[in-house]
Amino acid sequence: MSDLAAVQHEIGAQSEFRVLVADDDQDMANFLAHMLRKEGMEADVAAEGGAALERVMASPPDLVMLDVLMPGLSGFEVCRRLKADPSTALIPVVLITALDDSESRVRGIEAGADDFLSKPVSREELLARVKTLRRLHETRRELEQRRLATEIERKETIHKAFSRYISPGLAERIIHDLGAEDGPFQANAQRIEVVALFADLRGFTRITERSEAGNVVEMLNEYFAFLTEATYQRHGTIFNMAGDSLLIGFNVPLPQKDAPARALQCAQEMVLRFAPIGRQWERRFGVATGVGIGICMGEAIIGNIGSPHYMSYTIIGNPVNTAARLMQLAAANEVLVCGEFFQAIRDLVPEQDVRARGDVALRGRSEPTPVFCVAGPGSEV
Amino acid sequence: MTDSAYTVVVAKDLADLVPTFMNNRKKELETLRTALAALDFEQLRQLGHRMKGVGNSYGFSRVSDLGKSIEDGAHSGDRAVLDAAIVDYAEYLARVNVVYE
Repeated sequence: MSDLAAVQHEIGAQSEFRVLVADDDQDMANFLAHMLRKEGMEADVAAEGGAALERVMASPPDLVMLDVLMPGLSGFEVCRRLKADPSTALIPVVLITALDDSESRVRGIEAGADDFLSKPVSREELLARVKTLRRLHETRRELEQRRLATEIERKETIHKAFSRYISPGLAERIIHDLGAEDGPFQANAQRIEVVALFADLRGFTRITERSEAGNVVEMLNEYFAFLTEATYQRHGTIFNMAGDSLLIGFNVPLPQKDAPARALQCAQEMVLRFAPIGRQWERRFGVATGVGIGICMGEAIIGNIGSPHYMSYTIIGNPVNTAARLMQLAAANEVLVCGEFFQAIRDLVPEQDVRARGDVALRGRSEPTPVFCVAGPGSEV
Repeated sequence: MTDSAYTVVVAKDLADLVPTFMNNRKKELETLRTALAALDFEQLRQLGHRMKGVGNSYGFSRVSDLGKSIEDGAHSGDRAVLDAAIVDYAEYLARVNVVYE
């Protein structure tokens, strides 16, 4: 059962109304419990304030009736503690006082009591007060459950929307953190260390020239399905999908200590998963194809960029530009990475699977960039 | 007091609770006597206060009335009033007749 369905089920269910009666006078406690049970309510009895508090915490009732004078914690103190705790503050509390004890009533109001009952207790007054509080409590609970159901529904909608862009696990964490001051998607841009991965399809332009438009869309969808699956498995975030290229970020929007390893595994998965499709397309269209990947890491700016009418959550900066250049250089089924990224993953890759490309002058970079080619499982450098 | 003054009409649905209630009153009487002997006015006041609250709830208005006398007597430290109230309470408990309706 989903969270929403569970709440809806709860709203429909008519549970028994549970009352905790706390009075050190056994006869008075028995009398009150007896009257309540006669009206079809469930009544539990505690002989002193501390025990009453423990029972409420262990299994919150729907109503608490407290004698004001009890050994240990007084009824006032138990009431005050219940009202100060957010988990019990909504439980109605009735204080039982002597008829002529106006001072106790004032103290009870200060402690947050919802109602008072006078001793000696008249059964008509007892039942009238309890029934009123029961109605109020049930209305309040129903409203709270409806509010909860609406909130869950809203989160499920956000979850569905987010899951198109990020892995379901990451979406879950983001929704959980919504509203937190240090949560992701903050209004202000941030500078953080990211791993940027660019992937695109080699030879795809030539394939599109030889195919019907419908086929092109179908092929692109097939290709992106493999790439997004590999991305979500490693909890990467897809920032951009344009033409046949994909920009993915790691360590963003939430920190990932092993972001470089995730990016490497993601790239290797992409190459491996797409290889059979690439061979199939090559046989069909006579064009060699495969995924070309560029990866770089470093400090980038993360934020919501755009206008009030159109906004995009994205990453910009050197690692993104460098990853894009490396992707352009990469041949089919090749993964090219910058020096900093290579240092972060060098222990994860056997030496024979790495080939240094030397310092390469990349467009837009003033200094040459050390470039390495990293083989994926089943591919060669 | 006439015999009818010792007859208490109690709602039938309380029948299961009344034996325990009466036993507790007898124990209470002994505690009152001990407290009076020790001139423990605070305990006498608390016991009187409790009697006042519980008596009428069960339909025993005399228990509530005597409880009020004991509470007031303890408050003012009036031993004669306390003595008389406890003697009356003993007699009442010995003679009370419960009728369920």
